[in-house]
Amino acid sequence: MAVAAVSPKSILPLACGFDFIAARCSFSRLAAVLCSRHVAVDRIDPSTITRLFVSESESNPSFVTRNQFLIYRLFSLSGLVPVGAFLVVHLLTNASVLAGPGAFQSRVDLIHSLGPLLVPIEWVFIFLPMLFHATVGFAIIAGGLPNVGSYPYAGNVRYTLQRATGMIVFAFIIWHLIQLHWMGAALGGGQFDPHHASSSAAVALQPAIVGILYAVGIVSAVFHLSNGLWTLGITWGLWTSPAAMRRASWVSIVVGVLLGGVGLGALVGMRNVNVEDAKVIEDRMEGVKRMLEGQPAAGSPAAGVRAAPQPISNPSPAASTTGVSTTGI
Amino acid sequence: MIQIAEKSDAASAGAKESDRIVRVRVLRQDAPGQESYWERHAVPYEPTMNVISILQRIAAMAQSQDGRHVAPVAWDCNCLEEVCGSCTMLVNGRTRMACTALVDKLLEENPEEIELKPMSKFPVVRDLVVDRQRVFRALERVKAWVPVDGSYDHGSGPRISPDEQEEAYPLSTCMSCGCCLEACPQYTKSEVVQRDDESAEDFDKRRKAAFDRGFIGAHAISQAMLFNSHPTGKMIADERLKAITSQGGIQMCGNAQNCVAVCPKHIPLTRSIARAGRAATVWAIKKLFDR
Amino acid sequence: MAQPRVLVIGGGLAGLSATMRLAELGIHVDLVSLVPVKRSHSVCAQGGINSVNALTRQEGDSEWKHFDDTVYGGDFLQHQPPVKEMTDWGPRIIDLMDRLGVPFNRTPEGYRDQRRFGGTLYKRTSFAGSTTGQQLLYALDEQVRRFEVDGKVKKWEFWDFLQPVLDESGRCRGAVCQDLVTMQFRAFPADAVILATGGCGLVYGRSTMSMVCTGSAISRAYQSGAWYGNGEFIQVHPTAIPGADKLRLMSESARGEGGRVWVPRTPHDPRDPRDIPEAERSYFLEERYPKYGNLVPRDIATREIFDICTTDGLSVEKDQLCVYLDLTHLSREMLDRKLGGILEIYEKFQGVDPRVVPMKIFPAVHYSMGGLWVDYQKSGAGGLEPGSPRNQQTNIPSLYAIGECDYQYHGANRLGANSLLSCIFSGLFCAPGVVASANGGGKTAAEESSRLFDTAMRRQEERHEALLARRAGDENPYALHQELGTLMTRTATVVRRNEQLAAAYGEVCTLEDRWQRCALSDTGNWTNQNVVFTKALGDMFPIAKLILKGALQRDECRGAHYKPSTAMPGIAATEPGEQRREAEQWCDRFEMNTRRWLKSTIAKHGSDGHTQISYEDIDTSLLPPRPRLYGLVGGDVIEEVWKERQKKADAIHAQAITSGGLSP
Repeated sequence: MAVAAVSPKSILPLACGFDFIAARCSFSRLAAVLCSRHVAVDRIDPSTITRLFVSESESNPSFVTRNQFLIYRLFSLSGLVPVGAFLVVHLLTNASVLAGPGAFQSRVDLIHSLGPLLVPIEWVFIFLPMLFHATVGFAIIAGGLPNVGSYPYAGNVRYTLQRATGMIVFAFIIWHLIQLHWMGAALGGGQFDPHHASSSAAVALQPAIVGILYAVGIVSAVFHLSNGLWTLGITWGLWTSPAAMRRASWVSIVVGVLLGGVGLGALVGMRNVNVEDAKVIEDRMEGVKRMLEGQPAAGSPAAGVRAAPQPISNPSPAASTTGVSTTGI
Repeated sequence: MIQIAEKSDAASAGAKESDRIVRVRVLRQDAPGQESYWERHAVPYEPTMNVISILQRIAAMAQSQDGRHVAPVAWDCNCLEEVCGSCTMLVNGRTRMACTALVDKLLEENPEEIELKPMSKFPVVRDLVVDRQRVFRALERVKAWVPVDGSYDHGSGPRISPDEQEEAYPLSTCMSCGCCLEACPQYTKSEVVQRDDESAEDFDKRRKAAFDRGFIGAHAISQAMLFNSHPTGKMIADERLKAITSQGGIQMCGNAQNCVAVCPKHIPLTRSIARAGRAATVWAIKKLFDR
Repeated sequence: MAQPRVLVIGGGLAGLSATMRLAELGIHVDLVSLVPVKRSHSVCAQGGINSVNALTRQEGDSEWKHFDDTVYGGDFLQHQPPVKEMTDWGPRIIDLMDRLGVPFNRTPEGYRDQRRFGGTLYKRTSFAGSTTGQQLLYALDEQVRRFEVDGKVKKWEFWDFLQPVLDESGRCRGAVCQDLVTMQFRAFPADAVILATGGCGLVYGRSTMSMVCTGSAISRAYQSGAWYGNGEFIQVHPTAIPGADKLRLMSESARGEGGRVWVPRTPHDPRDPRDIPEAERSYFLEERYPKYGNLVPRDIATREIFDICTTDGLSVEKDQLCVYLDLTHLSREMLDRKLGGILEIYEKFQGVDPRVVPMKIFPAVHYSMGGLWVDYQKSGAGGLEPGSPRNQQTNIPSLYAIGECDYQYHGANRLGANSLLSCIFSGLFCAPGVVASANGGGKTAAEESSRLFDTAMRRQEERHEALLARRAGDENPYALHQELGTLMTRTATVVRRNEQLAAAYGEVCTLEDRWQRCALSDTGNWTNQNVVFTKALGDMFPIAKLILKGALQRDECRGAHYKPSTAMPGIAATEPGEQRREAEQWCDRFEMNTRRWLKSTIAKHGSDGHTQISYEDIDTSLLPPRPRLYGLVGGDVIEEVWKERQKKADAIHAQAITSGGLSP
């Protein structure tokens, strides 16, 4: 999403609002250790501050303090790999629904072919890095004092939005997991059925408010990643001159626009899936899979035999009736 | 276009310049730990006035707009040519040097009044005077000097190409004014109060330790890069890199890039920061493999 | 025995270089400054720093020629040994500053680049962009910070020097200072005190000097018995930008690149300057000096601009004296290329583009050549004896003065780019002597009875309390300062007239009386800038008086001191014989004047508060005085006559020079 291309003024109200939120976040304990934040609120009894630091200065510096640089660099890196990379793969996978429920289903099947390995892989490469990124990120947010109201420069607006989108994305991911991931079943969610990928997702995403929230979540995540890409380049010293930074910022805008297109395309694609038709396809594919695995097929065994071999290149008439273009992804 | 409130006699269309009044709102604070309060002043307009001359007039009048007798507003200044770095304050909400804050321009921004506040990232000493010791402490931390053997004659310094000089010179014009720190959303205030039973030395030590936990700031990172590019200065480049990658170091930068936008000397601070990032990357990796 | 300690007051170039060298010599230094030392007035110096260098040497330059230029430029009013020592040290000082990391401009091959400044034929001036002073100061500030980290230097920033503490024998044993934040007093026992407190421009109200240049510190030393030398010699810069708060320098290069100075023929013409037709403009410099035009020498430009505004009443504005300096006829491209930097300064502070609208400028007080009288010990080579405790010492033993606040290096007129050199030189050079003095035997100041310091502290506390308690006054210190400034600027800057000077002295005495009735608008005891300013104002009067009295008594023209009644005009005659006769007369008069007036003015603070003036002979052993003929009508004839006279005396001079071991 190309925020930098939008006039900074147009997003000021949002950013100013964020001033308010961030200044009142109570992460001070964590922040004081991780971020060396001293006073984030206007009026604090000086003795409180003194106490806070006496306790630290008199003890040995903590592990976190000693390794602040390393932690922040890992934080920066984790945003790109694996978290950022996962986002790209995830959005591209989801966007395959634009090629029909079958296309999406076959990709989901591919992922789930990992079987019992899927859970540890999810945790090691996705959830834990994400949690690490989020934990450090919240500490950073709590340690900063956004001031875009006083200094409404484009860079500062991006700084503020990076933090705002970080928080939005975090909340969104929690909700997203509860709603769709099997782990959320206990909380009344877990609506995603890997055997009926498109149809179950389409049902879950159908309410308008859900669609809107997903759009916000996707746009925020994409902005966060593409802007993060730009700051990462500065942090690690890839682009150093103002001119190089400007060029890099265009690259990040292009990346953002493309990825945003993919993400929103996936959302639209999911919502536009014809649930009944999709179910037919998914069941057929399920049947084929079971057959190949030597298990008795459930549902309509006869139907799957013809359609299954070429679900992508031979879109079913049902898929084309959804009106979704099947080209492009 | 300049609009200035007129004293009275609105009927006379062409009010004389001497009748014009500039309204000023100052955020005052009598001493550290005390409540701050707004005070309004009205100063006769003069051409080519700046915020310093406004404050000079306020000091001379010693009364507020409503005629109350008040103590003059305290503020820091020295050269009035924007090279000493003393007179940083928040003028109409933005950090800048008061000496180059021209009244005519400020009234274009806001014809109603001019607002003066002390910097918010440093402890207020009184009114517009703040304690910027932390700025200088950061220079100690990054060893912002050339480690010469001494001041005795050893012939001339190293030869330096004009390109190198042109890179170094802008960084060397940093006057430690603190604008980059004030505008930085990652830089937060550190106010340590001396305890009753504490000696000056102990307090100083404790305060420096508190400073060192906070973000070092764009100016110090830039100075580290300046000296790391000097042929003699780079002999302790590792020590500087160690300093800027320790707690509160370069990792604290959030890339808001306000520093470079508000720097009165237009120092390419973000370039210094990015270069420091690159140097830190290389240094950290090298350290990892040299271990 | 306790370790000796030295107290340095002032953290500009001089104070910092002394601190650096003292710390290096193992002495603990307390460094007191009104502002963080990095913000000292030295940052304002733009042009550069002079020294002989490899390049000029190949064109025939030498330390001796730099010495000659400095002495000639100063109209021979300096003792020559210190100046010689300084110019000898020039190359080493530049090398040192180079090593400390000053980003001097470079040649394509990577050597230091130099440019030419006024008063010399050689490209002696090293420079770092347009902020040489700032760059030099920062390099020293960095070194001192290094010593501070090592615990060898302790800085006392935002502290005000109130008085030196003298023992019964009159020796300086420390000082009393005040914390400008907490307003607390503190006595600093010190085995030597070095004053490096700069000039006294604020005596003139607004000048090109910084707000700390009140002269209060030197005045306090003066009132404690230190002598003041050559106070009446105040350098005025011809072109400064008048501002409501201060006057800012406009480089002479604006005229060098073709800028024209003019005023409207109608006084205070209200029209936009661009609408005033050529016929109604007076290009007075071009009219009066057709040969030199706008590039007349600095002092003449200053006088003419001053005169046309005051005597002829043709100032552009009514409330403020100024003339136009017009660049608008020059191409924008050329202006940006050659004058970009200085035009930006004008635009920044005036909010007007000088490429479109003529600039308004006026002369401004710029530098105090005079200052505390200091001693020196001459070496056999004609320079100074290194390590002598007498070097830079005032008449008060163990009290030293260096930098702009001493009187020693610039005589009657300072050469451009020499001040930075004199500041760094005097700071570095005095250090070994100061150490010798501090180690001078007997008990250290720290072991001195506390009664000595208590008495001094109490005196300052009482003065402070009395000021705070003064409620019923009807005088405003800021208004009083403005009056003093206006008076001094009118009478004791460019053109001096005895009746005005005498009257002004009386007026300053009246102002001083009125100061006694100053009421403070702030009677608190926390960061009270009001009381600090009022004190400083009170200490400006003795300086103002010694400037006026020195100027009143000096009935001649020398350097920056110009009295029309004593001016020696050039040759009026056109017939060669007559010209020669006039030239002989001129030379006779010059020699007479030299005998009468080639003396340092020594001002002492009388117990009645009045200035007592005496004179001191000048050591001209290295270079006999000769007339300054620059721009004088018939100068060539006078020079011819003078040279003939000199030939007769040459034998003696040659003798003096060879015995001094110098290359002529």
